[in-house]
Amino acid sequence: MSTIRVRSPASYWLAVPAAAWMLGVVVVPIVLLVWVSFWGGRTFSPASPLTFDNYARFFANQTYIKLAGTTVLHTVTLMAVTGVLGYCIAYFLVMKVKSPGWRLALFMAFIIPFWTSTLIRAIAWVPFLGVNGVINQFLMSIGATRSPIEAFLYSHTGITMAQVSLYTMMAAGPVVYMLSSIAPQLREAAMTLKATPFTVFRRVTFPLTLPGVVIGQVLVFLNVMSDFATVATIGGNKHALLSNLVLLFYESSQIRAASVVAVLLMVCMLVGVVIALRVVDVRRLGVER
Amino acid sequence: MDALAHPYGEVTARPQLDLELRGIRKRYGDFTAVDGVSLQVEKGQFVCLLGPSGCGKTTTLRCVAGLEEPDDGGILIGGKEVTKDPPWQRDIAMMFQDFALFPHMTVAKQVGFGLEMLKKPKAEIAKRVQEVLKAFEISVLAERKPGSLSGGQRQRVALARAMITEPRILLLDEPIGALDYSLRETVMLELKLLQQRTGISFIWVTHDQNEAFSLGDLVVVMNHAKIEQQGTAEEILQRPATAFVAGFVQGNNVFRGRVTGTSPDVLQVETSAGRFYVPRPLDRVPMLGDPVSFSVRAEQVTDSPSERQANRLSARCTAVEYFGAVRRHVFERCDGEVLKYDQFGAHAARIVPGQTVQLGWLVEETVLHAGAPG
Repeated sequence: MSTIRVRSPASYWLAVPAAAWMLGVVVVPIVLLVWVSFWGGRTFSPASPLTFDNYARFFANQTYIKLAGTTVLHTVTLMAVTGVLGYCIAYFLVMKVKSPGWRLALFMAFIIPFWTSTLIRAIAWVPFLGVNGVINQFLMSIGATRSPIEAFLYSHTGITMAQVSLYTMMAAGPVVYMLSSIAPQLREAAMTLKATPFTVFRRVTFPLTLPGVVIGQVLVFLNVMSDFATVATIGGNKHALLSNLVLLFYESSQIRAASVVAVLLMVCMLVGVVIALRVVDVRRLGVER
Repeated sequence: MDALAHPYGEVTARPQLDLELRGIRKRYGDFTAVDGVSLQVEKGQFVCLLGPSGCGKTTTLRCVAGLEEPDDGGILIGGKEVTKDPPWQRDIAMMFQDFALFPHMTVAKQVGFGLEMLKKPKAEIAKRVQEVLKAFEISVLAERKPGSLSGGQRQRVALARAMITEPRILLLDEPIGALDYSLRETVMLELKLLQQRTGISFIWVTHDQNEAFSLGDLVVVMNHAKIEQQGTAEEILQRPATAFVAGFVQGNNVFRGRVTGTSPDVLQVETSAGRFYVPRPLDRVPMLGDPVSFSVRAEQVTDSPSERQANRLSARCTAVEYFGAVRRHVFERCDGEVLKYDQFGAHAARIVPGQTVQLGWLVEETVLHAGAPG
């Protein structure tokens, strides 16, 4: 990193458009959201007194607490599944696919579905998971099951299946990058120092890709926590997570309650990211090589 | 070539040899990287594999390490057949060109890695690491990570990491190529002393002939996937076996021509630069008309040939270069090729560029090369 700092006024002016935009679309709405979550009284106006009542009401309701717990558990499950799956895919792409053409083709095959919106991708799962869906048809045709499995659509399993497919590449992408930046000589050096392939992975390859794993986990964590579309489409009306609660409150004009859940969701995410940064200092990536 | 057809016959272990290569071959598609390389390294020998880039010296080294599996031939380490063994089962250590230090490990952890892999007790590892760090004068770096080390420090860490397990053979791939020029000579001397003290065989790959000739007990010159010549530095400098070796080693003047006359001890060779006399080799009799090549070292040439210097030619001086105590004159022969003439000290008459001079040398200083000239 260069230690030269240009302190001309022009360099600050260059940052103004982006800063103004971020202020308008991120900072101000969040401040408003937090403010609204503390509004008391019966009227809905800036003159409302500030109280903790809205939060107290949320935490007094066992259903909401359970929902928050379910959300966290669901997110952790997804992080674990996509983490392992994503690492395997990344390892395969970087270490096992020798031809650059094939690697690009496979990588594109993973990436291209991401060009459509989350909502469309979530809806696209419905014909797959349904009672007469593709998966059930296939399972019955090979004789794995006699009657269609109903647990796929409008179920927690279905949500998990869809989200794993949606977010695995988020876990894999940063790992692909980190893996391909490891010099092959490092693994060779470890081997000549009597490390078996598994030890090479455990002591050299994995630690060097850990930042990629953490970044991937953060991406999955943030996306799953805030993903209401997949849950709503695949889960029907039977399943909801915290993010769906925000929508539910909002649609029933309970703006203060919606703000409370949104703020709590943000706090959860912030805590998650802080924990991740404690494991790996993403800001110092690449400094030590 | 299969093992049976090899001149050494079936596996006959020679325990006094640290390494034996039996006609190893390695192909990548159409490209042959190593073509029938055979080599014997005695216990505690310092071997230098010397050659231009792409000659197969690094691939040979990687085959010894087990990082490449040869398509053909055998590798024996300490008399034990290891051709198919993976690297972690071989009694070797390797130092890589860019040192390949683990970026996430401290120097102490890094150096102890090899002992950890050998499942040594923790206390013993800590003690040995301390000793080795001290011996390599890098104790103060113990808790630092490679990113913050200088080139010279990295080199020491890499060496310490490789040496701590006391392997039978240490493989070094251009180990000082990444160092500053000013550091190289010191490091070379240190490595030579270390090698002599420990008795570990070193196999040192380099394209730098100064390194090879000043370090190697045995110098192996490679070209186009094959060994051109192996011997002591002196043998290779004084008696280059092929036109390639003569041309590759600094200070040789190479001539190509045809045999036009033979006598019991001298051959007459007609070249584009004139007619010269070459001592007849004992082991073979070149026939009249055979293409041959020969060379003479630049320091054997003189600018005032007498009757005794039967090989003579006149050439035009194009440049004079100074290498320390040596003054090298570069001449253009009448056939356009370059002829070099080295003078030691400043006593003799100076030749200036542009001047045409009679040059000559003794017949017995002329070296006939084996094989057809390349």
